[in-house]
Amino acid sequence: MLDVDRSTPPVLLHHGEQFRLERLPADRSRIVYPPEPLPGLDDPDAAIRRAIEEPIDSEPLRELLFPDMRLTIAFDDISLPLPKMRRPDIRQRVIEAVLDVAADVGVDDIHLIAALALHRRMTEAELRHSVGDRVYDAFAPRGQLYNHDAEDPDGMTVIGETRHGEEVQISTRAATSDLIVYVNLNLVSMDGGWKSTATGLSGYQGLRHHHNVATMRATRSFMDQDRSELHRSNWRQGAVLRDAGIKVFQIETTVNNDLFGDGPLAVLAKREWEWTPRDRATFMGVKAGLDRMTPGGRRRILHSWEAPYALTSVQAGEVEAVHRITTEHVYDQQLVAVEGQTDVVLYGLPYVGPYNVNSIMNPILVMCLGLGYFFNMYRGRPVVREGGVLIMTHPTTDEFHPVHHPSYIDFFEQVLAETTDPIEIERRYEVGYAEDEWYRHLYRTSYAYHGVHPFYMWYWGSHALEHLGGVVVVGGDPATVRRLGFRPASTLADALEIASDLVGPSPSITYVKNPPIGMADVT
Amino acid sequence: MKALVIDRDLPRFGAARLAAGLGASPGTRAGPLRLRDDVEPPGLPGPDWIRLRPRTSGICGSDLATVQGRSSRWFEPIVSFPFVPGHEIVADDPDGRRVVVEPVLGCVARGVTPVCPACAEGRIGNCGLLGHGHLAAGLQTGYCCDTGGGWSEELVAHRSQLHEVPDELDDHDALMVEPTACALHGALAAEIGPGDTVAVLGAGTLGYLAVAAVARWSAPLRLLVSARHPHQRDLVRSLAGDAVTPEVCGPDALDRAARRATASQAVGAPGHSGARLSGGVDVTIDCVGSTESITQALAVTRPGGRVIMVGMPGVETLDLTPLWQREIAVRGAYAYGIETVAGQRIRTFDLAFELVASHRLGRLVSATYPLERHRDALDHAANAGRRGGTKVAFDLHAPDHPAGRTLKGRR
Amino acid sequence: MRLPSPLARVRAAGFPWTAAPTPRGVEPPPQVERLGDAYDTDWARRPVALWSRIAALESVGRVATRVTCRPTVHNLDRLGGNDGPLIFVANHHSHLDTALLLTTLPMPWRHELVVAAAADYFFDTAPKAALAAWAYGAVPMERRRASRRSADRAATLLEDGWSLLIFPEGGRSPDGWGQPHKGGAAYLGVRCGVPVVPVHLHGTGRVLPKGRTVPEPHAVQINVGAPLRPEPDEDARRFALRVEAGIARLADETSSDWWEARRRAAIGSTPSLKGPQQDTWRRDWHSPDRRPLDRRPRRWPS
Repeated sequence: MLDVDRSTPPVLLHHGEQFRLERLPADRSRIVYPPEPLPGLDDPDAAIRRAIEEPIDSEPLRELLFPDMRLTIAFDDISLPLPKMRRPDIRQRVIEAVLDVAADVGVDDIHLIAALALHRRMTEAELRHSVGDRVYDAFAPRGQLYNHDAEDPDGMTVIGETRHGEEVQISTRAATSDLIVYVNLNLVSMDGGWKSTATGLSGYQGLRHHHNVATMRATRSFMDQDRSELHRSNWRQGAVLRDAGIKVFQIETTVNNDLFGDGPLAVLAKREWEWTPRDRATFMGVKAGLDRMTPGGRRRILHSWEAPYALTSVQAGEVEAVHRITTEHVYDQQLVAVEGQTDVVLYGLPYVGPYNVNSIMNPILVMCLGLGYFFNMYRGRPVVREGGVLIMTHPTTDEFHPVHHPSYIDFFEQVLAETTDPIEIERRYEVGYAEDEWYRHLYRTSYAYHGVHPFYMWYWGSHALEHLGGVVVVGGDPATVRRLGFRPASTLADALEIASDLVGPSPSITYVKNPPIGMADVT
Repeated sequence: MKALVIDRDLPRFGAARLAAGLGASPGTRAGPLRLRDDVEPPGLPGPDWIRLRPRTSGICGSDLATVQGRSSRWFEPIVSFPFVPGHEIVADDPDGRRVVVEPVLGCVARGVTPVCPACAEGRIGNCGLLGHGHLAAGLQTGYCCDTGGGWSEELVAHRSQLHEVPDELDDHDALMVEPTACALHGALAAEIGPGDTVAVLGAGTLGYLAVAAVARWSAPLRLLVSARHPHQRDLVRSLAGDAVTPEVCGPDALDRAARRATASQAVGAPGHSGARLSGGVDVTIDCVGSTESITQALAVTRPGGRVIMVGMPGVETLDLTPLWQREIAVRGAYAYGIETVAGQRIRTFDLAFELVASHRLGRLVSATYPLERHRDALDHAANAGRRGGTKVAFDLHAPDHPAGRTLKGRR
Repeated sequence: MRLPSPLARVRAAGFPWTAAPTPRGVEPPPQVERLGDAYDTDWARRPVALWSRIAALESVGRVATRVTCRPTVHNLDRLGGNDGPLIFVANHHSHLDTALLLTTLPMPWRHELVVAAAADYFFDTAPKAALAAWAYGAVPMERRRASRRSADRAATLLEDGWSLLIFPEGGRSPDGWGQPHKGGAAYLGVRCGVPVVPVHLHGTGRVLPKGRTVPEPHAVQINVGAPLRPEPDEDARRFALRVEAGIARLADETSSDWWEARRRAAIGSTPSLKGPQQDTWRRDWHSPDRRPLDRRPRRWPS
């Protein structure tokens, strides 16, 4: 945390696929920097082996396996981690360790499922990156490694209902397995726990009970499980799974904050005063280069970046016990103490969010990243006070990936042209999109997010929409930003002027730098 | 008298056609239209003809095509030069009554006896005897050298062409009666069934009027309207009234909207490359008449559906494969005559008066100009959508007022 | 006119172009033949020789192996997390094996690698020894008997940070099947605490088997195994068996897939690399180096 005074240099803000340097008003601004990366484990493979041999509140994996069993290994999809990880991916390490044990025991009937719920299917290259070539070559040709299909009429089973009347639906293969091993990558504290199985392997019928506006508004940060209705609902669904006799062996992993390594992007992880002459030169070179490229070129370059994350912890065993420890590890890496709320919060939105890996950050994803993920990266209370203003920097162009986000285009053209109110959007349009046969077809056979997915993006920001007095997008395309219901500003100074109109003169400003990922612990 | 006149001046037609490639404004300037002070008022061609003094006269898309030299050579034998354009006319008759002129020059006006079968049925728009009788060739007032036209100080009209304007309609309302009749004729020709999905292409005068007409006589239905400019959305909404909630989208987004509205599958990505929809709208009403709009109409209409062309096309080069493969019926809708509504046969103009009155369609008149400023007027009309206007007209009361009077122009 | 032979001209020029004759009555010093196991290869690891070797391998060597072998390297990620020296052990079917590995193993090991070469084959004459030492970074290794000198030298090199490539079969396969492993690599692994990386090469014997001189291009699969470390209570002999099994498992992996091979390894039914024991026609028929029968050019890329 840094209080800005007159000597503070301009600070770095992400601006989609570009960067901005902005000077913040002195004496009423502060900057929250993300924490330094924690050291990683020396021998990740040994740590993984130890975790599955000595699990928490569970017998060792070896004892849970027997030769004629049905074993399903589910793993997180490409929405994690961000940016993607250098090979070997942790999922590959964990899955190989699990398969090693399974081979010793002699298990034959093994399926590996990318637990992507209603996300787009992963391509072969993406699956190979996640699970490694060895596992892919061994299982994919036999049809034992595949993407979850939540719209397969014969592939989904409703297990039961929670006492709140929430249906619990998971993949039939998982439901009929003797054991589900869920391989998790907990990038942020939202991930993992029962949300892995109850959401990742579920479908619209199960998800609609917590992916809705009422739940999200009762969730005072979905990053803080103790105050998250989203998680309570998932935990209830998890209890139904457990009571139905579905056994889950949960393996959760955490990584450190080393997103940019020592390479050309190392400067992005440093505070401005730590920039060496070489860093400054690299930064100016990278910025000038990116500014001169086409958007497509910028995307190709940036999405090819693979982060050198180190594994900081791995724990396995019973879902809830494991998840408590995992969450502590995530907090150890990410929590930053922030004292008091602010009138205006400022975010620089980067080029990638969970739903545009190897894709385009469209306006709806901009909303979700800013008002969903960044706004909710808090524990206690939001960084910005109720009625305050959120300013984010992003070009926010009216550009969509035609293959990955077909329903987003329609959502933008039809729904947002009418209203931006989440309740009304949910009431009038959700079911139509969720049951549209064309979106279903594209989700199942192409690489498209499910028809209902843009709605979830909007709901993710509904807590912020309710809390905030206004949202300003710096550098955004005016027509597009207005369609989102936000205000466009061409410079940060203009944005602060607009904000002053809403929150009064000389507002206090907090710039939360992200990425690398930090989570504000607001007192 | 003062009048805007079009002569048979082939070099000017050619020049206008070339210049129109540069934009509407150069096209108009190079075109054959001239303002003259020394035009002889037309003589009365026969009994039942009377003199009219125009109060106001509108500029129609077909007028623009003519002055820019874009109109089809199809019309060559059925117009007579030199003529005074203007067929949307509100005028005073010698008795001081306000009248709207129904400009089609059918058998009755021409004094042809016996009248042709179409005219006998009241379908005067389908009259084929456009060069017969005691008038020179001309399909409407405003295309005939013997009748004069609205863009002048005086013209002649047959009594059968006149419709008296009730007092509750002002001049602008009255001016909208003729275009409303055209749109209405198209909307009713579409034979929309209950619950059909209908797309209206183009949010110009005809598009708005078609929306009002289908919402008035064909509800319930699902209505998609393509409109290029955001301000057009609200007007479309208000014209559709309460019975129908139209979905308004940009022309690029229409195929997506049609897919959604009809729960179709699509092969290929919608948008610029053009998706092939498994279904599509039942009826498309094309109020533009360009190559692009017809192509789009064929792309969004379901197999076996209908396309009604209300906007006047010209010589268009387009791919008709979808028409063939999807077995789409294309039908034109020219002018007006007699309609069958709820089993009753009613003159299109009478229905138009009703629609104009109920929707106060005079608000669509955005600006009026004196004849002297005809170039500004035509420029404005050619760019009406972009400049936030709809119908542009000549105001013939006040020949010397200072500027185009913008009534409801929104920028 | 006959051109004078250059040698004759040198001889005619006399000293110092030729050696001075030994005066009578002086006993000439005994000529010490430093060849074979005793050949000193230090010069080949000094900068001039080292960098010229790297330049040659990365240009000529790379092109030549790519043209003849079309190699695909699998599972290099198994080396991730190692940064010290490694002992690479591979099956041996062809002279191309060394060149191929020297151009395909990952950095940094590729350029910090010495190759154990048969002292009796590569180091029997000075020019041959110099060529082997320069071109491959070869060091002599006694293969007929246990040699203290060979072992000490290899251990010193490992301690200096050089990685080592050894073909533990001691020579190229005569028929495509594996030969018994010699224990040198495992011994060095245990002695120096350096991980041993099994590598399986499939197809070099189809390109240039023992006994042939003209290579016939064919695709080659290189499968790199996970580094093996001796267990605390493991002796070199047992470690050698584990290394040998590791290569056999890699071979199984290449011909099936990782999971199949892993399953067979778990139940101890990994196919042996030594082939059928009976020396019948079936031994040749199933030989890994037998080229496929269909030799017609393919119309479509495979």
